[in-house]
Amino acid sequence: MSNANWILFLSTLSTGLILGSIFSLVAAGVTIVYGSIWMPNAANGQFFLLAALFGWTLTVSWGIHPAIAAILVIGISVPLSYALEILLIRRFYDVPNRNISYFVLSLGITQILAGIFSLTYGQWSDQFQLPPLVSGITFIGPFPIANNRLAVLGLAVAILAGLFLLLRYHRYGRALRAVFQNRDAAALRGVNVKASYSLSFALGNAVIFAGGILFALAYSFDLTVAWTMAITAFAIMIIGGPGSVLGALVVGMVFGFTQAIVSVVASPTIAAFSYLGAMLVILLFKPSGLFAK
Amino acid sequence: MTGPTSTTLSVHDWKRTVVPLGVFAVLAFAVPVALSGNRYLAFVAGITLIHILWASGMNLLYGYTGLMPLMFAGIAGISAYFAVDLTSSGWSFWIALPLGALMASVAGTILGLPSLRLKGFYFTLCSLVIQTVITLGFVYFAGLTNGDTGISQIPLPTAPGGGTISPAVFDLILATAAVIGVVVLIAITRSSLGKRLVAIREDDELAEMLGINVTRYKMTAFFIGSLFAGVGGALYAPYIGFISPRSFDVLISMNIWLMVAFGGRGTIWGPVVGAVILVPLSFLLQEYYTVKDVIYGLLIIAVIVLMPGGIASGLKRTARPIEAAAPGMAERRGAK
Repeated sequence: MSNANWILFLSTLSTGLILGSIFSLVAAGVTIVYGSIWMPNAANGQFFLLAALFGWTLTVSWGIHPAIAAILVIGISVPLSYALEILLIRRFYDVPNRNISYFVLSLGITQILAGIFSLTYGQWSDQFQLPPLVSGITFIGPFPIANNRLAVLGLAVAILAGLFLLLRYHRYGRALRAVFQNRDAAALRGVNVKASYSLSFALGNAVIFAGGILFALAYSFDLTVAWTMAITAFAIMIIGGPGSVLGALVVGMVFGFTQAIVSVVASPTIAAFSYLGAMLVILLFKPSGLFAK
Repeated sequence: MTGPTSTTLSVHDWKRTVVPLGVFAVLAFAVPVALSGNRYLAFVAGITLIHILWASGMNLLYGYTGLMPLMFAGIAGISAYFAVDLTSSGWSFWIALPLGALMASVAGTILGLPSLRLKGFYFTLCSLVIQTVITLGFVYFAGLTNGDTGISQIPLPTAPGGGTISPAVFDLILATAAVIGVVVLIAITRSSLGKRLVAIREDDELAEMLGINVTRYKMTAFFIGSLFAGVGGALYAPYIGFISPRSFDVLISMNIWLMVAFGGRGTIWGPVVGAVILVPLSFLLQEYYTVKDVIYGLLIIAVIVLMPGGIASGLKRTARPIEAAAPGMAERRGAK
């Protein structure tokens, strides 16, 4: 391969990996919450944007180092999640068919956050860019890549791996999967279902916040990223199978590479059309998704 | 309350239907006329009338059939773009309007097909995807829609015989459309069609077992509901004078849904009242109009958490069946 093709290949590969791991993170957050408390969180895109905007305020306005800002942003998500859980989410836990109520509820949250963002951040700037986590450039052969993006990629993969291990091997992860499979049986075996619910909500949102802050560190963004992310995360969740974290990881990666490749050869609109088309087909013919157990 | 009576129009019906309908019809025509001195206020009244039509169509689908189509605004948009394109290529608006509405009905019926397989949340999610595809389509097929920029300076239609129609006269056309919409909805709810739709809403598997052709009636509901969307869309475009993909995006669908849910799903007058309260609200806020999104969002949450029956259920305590729990409870289970 010629140098130019190598560069194109490596840049597509790196973009695909970074986008894929961020998509996987957000979709995993959405699918954990849906899998446990049956809440299809349409506000995931706004949460994602909220994390990115918090990161922007902390670093650009307050001058905090991006690494500390990232930890603070992910930390903030925990009390926010618990407050939301106590205020709104908790009261539906015993309602049958609560997923549609939750869906509409999260659309309401989406509208509130979108309104607040356009009243505040939307007035302050069109485009948001965070200072890099680490500076410098590494050459992979002829291809230059910012160390910052390599660091983001490394962190995203590390968080994904940690999440996967937590759900697979830790007591909490096993309890969460037990509640997902059979709530009553899990309760009989001594799992505290309500506590596991609120923990899943907090964990899912923390993962979405992590995705948001990492995305903000790697790329500049504007307010429209929220809606795109919400639809993408839903498409990944539906195709991968609602509640399947493995499905979210695999399909998220596939989507990241699709986005990277399509943005080279065609317009992003085509990528969006293809996601939505794939989601419609899965919804109509295999609503349990590709990775359902 | 009065028991079941054999007469077609009992005292009960008189009080419940005819009197409110008369009051509504008089107000629908009188308010724009009374406000005609102030073009801006009359305009707010006109937009409210269009939303009353839309809310009634959404009510047929959401309130009476138990489906929550978030692509409703997209369907209205299909009609609006179609009618505008036809009019600008020389057709009379009065032919373009029914053609656009018919187009919307056909599109709505086809796009409603997933409701046969998917229920509850899964159908709503599917309709959200469809709405997003329609919005992307409006942006993408710029030859017909002028893309993100939108089509501006859409003229008001001319009268069928020639001669111009003033905005004040167009207000009366909108009033006519809104009154006809409400009358059609009343007629449907009183017919066997309406009863069957309610049966489908309550339990579509049971309805199927009772011999109701669920496929046919769901498609009928989509056809008629989309007709409401389409007529509203085709009237909206020349009235506002400007349409863009943003005019018919998912937020608009949510707003129309909110008018129905806030007013009271499955009642004739609840959604009308919902539109009358919520539409002028966004005009009151003027330059702080994005505050509207926050208020609407808070109302969505309030409806879901505090008053699943809407304001109609708080105002009257009668034997009329209103879902005691959150919206969507009528759909018995998801597509599992």
